[in-house]
Amino acid sequence: MKFLKSFLVVLLVMIPVTAFAEKAKTIEELAAMYDSSSCKECHAEIYAQWEKSHHARSLMGVLGGLFMTPLAMKDKTPFSPDDPSQATLDTFPCFKCHLPQAVTSGSDDFAKDYAKALVAQDKERIGKLNISCLVCHNTKAIIHKRDEGHPEKGVLYSTKAVKSHDHPDFKTVKKSSIMDHSIMCGQCHGQGPNLEFENPVQCATLYGSYQHNYLSKGGQKSCQECHMGDNADHLFAPNWNDLEGTKKLLQEAISLDIDTVGYDWLLKSKDYKPVVVVNTRINTTAGHRIPDG
Amino acid sequence: MTAKTKDGKEVYNSEKHYHPQATTCKDNKMKYGAQVKTQYIRDTSLQPLETKTESFEIMLPEGVRAVEVTASVRYEIWKPDHMIEIHKITKHVSLDR
Repeated sequence: MKFLKSFLVVLLVMIPVTAFAEKAKTIEELAAMYDSSSCKECHAEIYAQWEKSHHARSLMGVLGGLFMTPLAMKDKTPFSPDDPSQATLDTFPCFKCHLPQAVTSGSDDFAKDYAKALVAQDKERIGKLNISCLVCHNTKAIIHKRDEGHPEKGVLYSTKAVKSHDHPDFKTVKKSSIMDHSIMCGQCHGQGPNLEFENPVQCATLYGSYQHNYLSKGGQKSCQECHMGDNADHLFAPNWNDLEGTKKLLQEAISLDIDTVGYDWLLKSKDYKPVVVVNTRINTTAGHRIPDG
Repeated sequence: MTAKTKDGKEVYNSEKHYHPQATTCKDNKMKYGAQVKTQYIRDTSLQPLETKTESFEIMLPEGVRAVEVTASVRYEIWKPDHMIEIHKITKHVSLDR
């Protein structure tokens, strides 16, 4: 009887813990766990900017392409399972940045569901997953976890603390130590090959370029200063699907000058060759190599 | 970079490609996919706060003494037909005064 009482007490204590630790098994479950649509009620302008950003379609690539499809197809990549039904979270190393919540809150069943959706090219379902407000303002907001602990459930993190936040599930906003620093973006807009996986994965190397080849030349702007500006634009330009907008941004960062000269070149005695020489200079003020991501 | 005669005939065409290039390290073939790229083997991209200079020598064909040269900088996104022309400069160059 005493054992049964102890068991019941332990069980009662465990229930909330297991409920919190429940992992998403489907695309819809994970999308619901990180649904940020309620944010737009008060932050409509920011939400509208974000909706046009690549963060809002982090699994869709440029022009809606489902870039992870080869990972779900047999023999297409070193990570590919024999069948989508055998996929696990390890099948998709790209989740590290393109869907961090899958790593923290998704299960292998979710990976199977996602793999099947990729093979079926189900853009509607996959389009429900994204780098939502909660990913940056909670999951990725703390990197000094030994000093500051893990991001708390029901807490948002931003550049400033807000004592009272009018949201039923997120009543508190705490200050993030990194939200206005380049390392916030550098968590995903990376440094080089990711060697923690069983095969190397190399995607963005932009933050490495920023650290080693921009700061070293005296550059002092942060990612946020250029890509969000004074008004905290959550488009995080460029939006590669918007060619005109991207062109404007590239024109601001890159310049082209040319000089020309035409003359008869006396390459050898009595043998003039007509030549035109064009000297070009391409200059960039960006804080990283172009192209990178 | 192109050069054309006054009647529109192209007498020169050249491209320079600026981007990092990676392989799997298991062979010498360049790869694009993040899931297989392992190491950059060459990087010709535009570097921050640096000026990339080039000098194009256009040897003109017999009888051609003037051309229209056009230099453009383009950004290719994902596939060749999804391309942005960032800048385009055209100049008339003559060997005769």
